[in-house]
Amino acid sequence: MSKIMLEVNGLTTKYITRYNESVYAVNDVSFQVEEGKSVGIAGESGCGKSTLALSLMGYYFPPLHYTKGDIIIDGRNISGMDPDDVRKNILGTEIAYIPQAAMNALNPTRKVIRFIEDVIWAHDPKISKKDIHDLARERFETLNLPEDTLNKYPVELSGGMKQRTVISISTILSPKVLIADEPSSALDVTSQKMVIKMIHDLMELGYIKSMIFITHELPLLYNVTDDIMVMYAGQIVERGSADQMIFDPIHPYSKGLMGSILVPEDGTRDVKITAIPGTPPNLKKPPDGCRFAERCQYVKSQCRVQNMELAGLGNGRTSRCMMSEEELREAYKNE
Amino acid sequence: MKGYGKYFTKKIIWFFITLVAAIILNFALPRLMPGDPVAMIISRVAQNINDPAVLRQMYESYMQRFGLDRPVIEQFFIYVGNLLQGDLGLSFSRYPRPVSDIIAHALPWTIGLQLPAILVGWTLGNVLGALAAYIRKGFDKALMPIMLFMGGIPAFGMAIILLTVFSLNLGLFPIAGGFEQGLIPHMSWRFVFSIIQHYHLPFWSIVLISIGGQAIGMRSMSIYELNADYVKYSRYMGIKDRKIVGYVFRNAMLPQVTGLALSIGAMVGGALVAEIIFSYPGLGTTLLQAIREGDYPLLSGIALIITVMVLLAVFILDVIYGLIDPRVRAAQYEE
Repeated sequence: MSKIMLEVNGLTTKYITRYNESVYAVNDVSFQVEEGKSVGIAGESGCGKSTLALSLMGYYFPPLHYTKGDIIIDGRNISGMDPDDVRKNILGTEIAYIPQAAMNALNPTRKVIRFIEDVIWAHDPKISKKDIHDLARERFETLNLPEDTLNKYPVELSGGMKQRTVISISTILSPKVLIADEPSSALDVTSQKMVIKMIHDLMELGYIKSMIFITHELPLLYNVTDDIMVMYAGQIVERGSADQMIFDPIHPYSKGLMGSILVPEDGTRDVKITAIPGTPPNLKKPPDGCRFAERCQYVKSQCRVQNMELAGLGNGRTSRCMMSEEELREAYKNE
Repeated sequence: MKGYGKYFTKKIIWFFITLVAAIILNFALPRLMPGDPVAMIISRVAQNINDPAVLRQMYESYMQRFGLDRPVIEQFFIYVGNLLQGDLGLSFSRYPRPVSDIIAHALPWTIGLQLPAILVGWTLGNVLGALAAYIRKGFDKALMPIMLFMGGIPAFGMAIILLTVFSLNLGLFPIAGGFEQGLIPHMSWRFVFSIIQHYHLPFWSIVLISIGGQAIGMRSMSIYELNADYVKYSRYMGIKDRKIVGYVFRNAMLPQVTGLALSIGAMVGGALVAEIIFSYPGLGTTLLQAIREGDYPLLSGIALIITVMVLLAVFILDVIYGLIDPRVRAAQYEE
């Protein structure tokens, strides 16, 4: 078994609203990512995907607050570390982040190379300017970005270029874990492809050791990641390999989510798109039982009282449901 | 720098176009005003002369002297020619003193008062606004109403308040003038001290009215920039907060520079009013005297000088703005 790069145990984080209410956007999340692997996180808007991404950084700004749980990166527990220590020794070097809105992620009045200097000096003020420039040039060359990008202001770059520049900057210190929060959502398909290729290259070249890829575009996840986790209302409801999750989802919510995919393939014009009825629960007051119970077509009375833990299904899969795999398969067959 | 050259050329062309427009207006406006200035001079100079023939002769001799007997177009070219030689004509009320001489005496007082006052007011306002945005909480809540109040007071109101409180009631500062009456301007400690004492109230009244508006603008710009995506991304790349605050305030300053360029005309106007209230020996007070005494050459000379100063200030600010904001250059490049 290969080395575990990221281990998350019972991570819970909350937003404290203006009226002092707590919203647990990430609730008791546990999972592992092995070296060389990429894990996708899918789920509808507001399910906590992006909050999970930020929570994993171990660096919290109001209104987001850490509540409990462990984040262990390559054997080192970063939860509970001094924030300044996290800033200096973890962010960017151990775990790095590609933001959702890379369009505005760079300071508009600072040249790309100046920002790279700032990033590197924030972690090691002793590195010489020349070393930084050499590193940046080398990285941009291997990642197929034009070298003159370094001397440009962000406003002079196109959307796709900006996103690829941000990815190069995020990974410049070779982090062990890369968290990509919808890095390609705002791009056209050609730029999207380049971004995805770049992410593959990063992994192959060893610039990153593992990755978490967040998106609401499921077909994209199938292409990019080894495993897929489905999140619902701040919790992980199912995890399996990309193949299993796309073609053979077990949890009723995953099933519903995969049923909503639109793919431009033969015959799909006539396939009826199913949508999951209802809306996710209010996380200020989550239900006692299963969080999906309200919207689940296979709901039983017990579901509304008792919340299940993630349980192994064999084959390395896990799911959070009252019903067994057999019961669920039986139910799906009868549809 | 190619983009900047284009920007600079454009700004310089605009500067000359507005300058020509100002000169034409300055030439035309006094001539469109009702009343005959020469008749006014005659009535003052020739109080004891009753012979109509002598009066007529005097009238014609003045008309000739001021060039008013020639066609308007010719007058205009003579005017421009004189202007280029620094000759603004002769004052009516202090005849035969040249207007340029009167202005040359008043100008140092005005520049010495207004330039530091506007710059100090602008800087203090921006620093206070930035602090309010960064600290928030009590500081912001206490400061903003004061700033709104100060920004709302008209220039003469602030001058009168300061005059009443500090000089009439408390007797801390002299009521009027640029230096103690009876003193002959020369370099001595007594004279310098007297200048500083007379300087305080007009200076602070201009500073205080400039602070308010600037602080309010800077506060909202800073709050906007503090929530920008690049702030979040920079934080997650491990850059120190102090550095990020530097980014934020630099970017928030940019619209403030434009704001200064836009409001400098109004600021100079307000400062002239402050001069009048404190009988400061600058252009404002001279302007008021010129209006009272129907001294058209002096009036138009002062108006022209003020216009040129404001145009110059706006031009300088535009040039600076192009240097500090790369987006301006990029925009020129795209055209």
